[in-house]
Amino acid sequence: MAWIVENRRTQVVEKRETPYLTADMKIDLANRYFPRYPTKRAVLLPALHAVQHQYGWIPTQAMEELGEFLGLQPAEVMDTATFYEEYWLKPKGKYLVAVCRSLACELCGSTELTKHLKKKLNIEPAETTADGKFTLVEYECLGSCGTAPAALCNDVLHENINPESFGHWLDTLPEDPHEYHDSSVTWDETASAH
Amino acid sequence: MPFTEPVLLKRINADPAKRKLHFYDDYVATGGYKGLEAALQMAPADIIKTTIDSGLRGRGGAGFSAGQKWSFIPKEKRGPHYLCVNADESEPGTFKDRYLIDYDPHQMLEGIAIACIATQCDIAYIFIRGEYHRQAKVLEHAIKEAYEHGIFGPQGIKGSATKLECYVHKGAGAYICGEETGLLEALEGKRGWPRNKPPFPAIAGAFAKPTVINNVETLAAVPHIIERGPIEGPRWFKSMGTPSSPGPKLYGMSGHVNSPGVYEDELGITLEHAIKLAGGMKGGAYKASICGGISMGVLGTNQLDIKLDFDDVRFRGGCLGLGTAGMIVMNEHTDMVLALRNCVRFYAHESCGQCTPCREGSAWMRKILDRIVDGGGRAQDLEMLLELEKTMGIMPGTTICGLADGTAWATRTFINKFYDEFAAKCPETPVPQFSLKRGSLNVLQPMGSNTR
Ligand SMILES: Cc1cc2nc3c(=O)[nH]c(=O)nc-3n(C[C@H](O)[C@H](O)[C@H](O)COP(=O)(O)O)c2cc1C
Ligand code: SF4
Ligand code: FES
Repeated sequence: MAWIVENRRTQVVEKRETPYLTADMKIDLANRYFPRYPTKRAVLLPALHAVQHQYGWIPTQAMEELGEFLGLQPAEVMDTATFYEEYWLKPKGKYLVAVCRSLACELCGSTELTKHLKKKLNIEPAETTADGKFTLVEYECLGSCGTAPAALCNDVLHENINPESFGHWLDTLPEDPHEYHDSSVTWDETASAH
Repeated sequence: MPFTEPVLLKRINADPAKRKLHFYDDYVATGGYKGLEAALQMAPADIIKTTIDSGLRGRGGAGFSAGQKWSFIPKEKRGPHYLCVNADESEPGTFKDRYLIDYDPHQMLEGIAIACIATQCDIAYIFIRGEYHRQAKVLEHAIKEAYEHGIFGPQGIKGSATKLECYVHKGAGAYICGEETGLLEALEGKRGWPRNKPPFPAIAGAFAKPTVINNVETLAAVPHIIERGPIEGPRWFKSMGTPSSPGPKLYGMSGHVNSPGVYEDELGITLEHAIKLAGGMKGGAYKASICGGISMGVLGTNQLDIKLDFDDVRFRGGCLGLGTAGMIVMNEHTDMVLALRNCVRFYAHESCGQCTPCREGSAWMRKILDRIVDGGGRAQDLEMLLELEKTMGIMPGTTICGLADGTAWATRTFINKFYDEFAAKCPETPVPQFSLKRGSLNVLQPMGSNTR
């Protein structure tokens, strides 16, 4: 629903003293992405990803800071950010569990999977558990139709899911989501930035 | 010589347990980057001509000749040229690009380098969908290796005069960014709103400069042709497939089949053969199959003999085209009304909202289908769906991009090919108590479960 626009006219931007876009982040973004594109605006998507990676969501103040950093109006940043479903403009749980609901997965049991997760986590899609650990959403096709049903848990794709065991496995996740990695990434990722 | 051995999948083991990711050393050890070496000995015009001669058609959905697309790029350079690789793969039923990236990323990088030599591109952006986290990491690593081995970077491709940079650009969860001009907008940091054409990307694409946009699988096929040279390459490629749709193709088989997965064969195999490749039907007899992503529509129960190439699916199959050749196979127990509802919900959710017929039409169709599924179908609903469907898309000329055509073709083929099943749920005398209950059903409630 990229075109559903929320009325933000009366929105009060919550401010905090320390900026979200830290000096380190700015240096990293500038070094990594400025040389790649002929315009600064093109850095917006990677920059929004970076903010979300750091904080789990994108606060409005961070969008203002990004605007200043990239020479854009805050409204231009928001215009872009509101279009993309992956950007969270309000806080979400530490773990985002995104179940695919498209056709191949529906044929292979995604409805049961969602039902099971709703019951287990005691929330509806788009809601977050009371302890702030899980947010459940339904996504469209995850490119895993041959191994349906599929779901993403943060950055990691899970395929051929059995609802029961997936539910149990969720309990074993560490408290800090930054400690949870894709075990199939066996090479040194940090060295990959050229 | 028809299709005898895998081409694009030659490094990827059919047995999942034995599959492994091929990085640079493995790739070169198995004959990789030979196509690039051959390309460096050729003039750009010859690379384009070889590709045109081979008849390679785009694997991203539209099936446009790859070589011809390259030939539209101005020969006189007045500024930078860009290549955008379309790795946004979000069409339900499609997972072939992910498979290629997951196990053999350098094959595509080699194709990128060759395409950039042919079209004098300076920067290649790989636009990958945001949900492909692992695949983006694989590509980052493979690109780093390619830099280290002198393929990308300021020293020029393998020391030649052509300099090429290559970067990954991650999307953020919007199907419409797979549409080529939506992709360009997302690359430029804007909303992924498709552009009106003309100007075509070949003249004014990314950052208003000449831009080539190709699918992952299209580019992965290129090295195999160029490697064999300007005479033998096209001849070899055309020995597979049909005269108008030559070459090998990846078929993504999913749904009710015994061994779903990506299979490679020549273009023009029958649907029956494709299902056989995937281990046959599971859970019941064949009923229907999505042909090439849901936007292409559905093949009916009596269409097992349709040839999967760019033409037969259209002319005899009555679908929009072969699309991505991602087949979602359905068995006899599948409820076609539910299946169509799932497809239309996808379009209602993914419409970017620029064009009224697409935005309102898909939302409206979704509401009608929700009501039919909930038991409140009326005879006029089917007429309404078929009327709405005719008003939307590039073909009737009412929308900017082809997403709306996908909505239309899915709806049209589902209802026409399974009319009785739909009609049974839309009786002449509607269920009377439904109108009373209507307010309590989700028909009138806001749509989209992922409101952030
Ligand atoms: C709504 C829509 C979505 C599309 N999504 C994709 C996609 O995810 N991947 C892709 O390669 N092409 C996609 N396409 C097709 C592209 O617009 C374009 O034709 C293709 O990338 C060109 O590459 P090719 O000539 O190599 O096939 C889409 C088209 C439309 C209209
Ligand atoms: S047809 Fe639909 S998706 Fe395409 S530009 Fe128009 S509103 Fe957007
Ligand atoms: S339909 Fe679920 S991954 Fe494609």
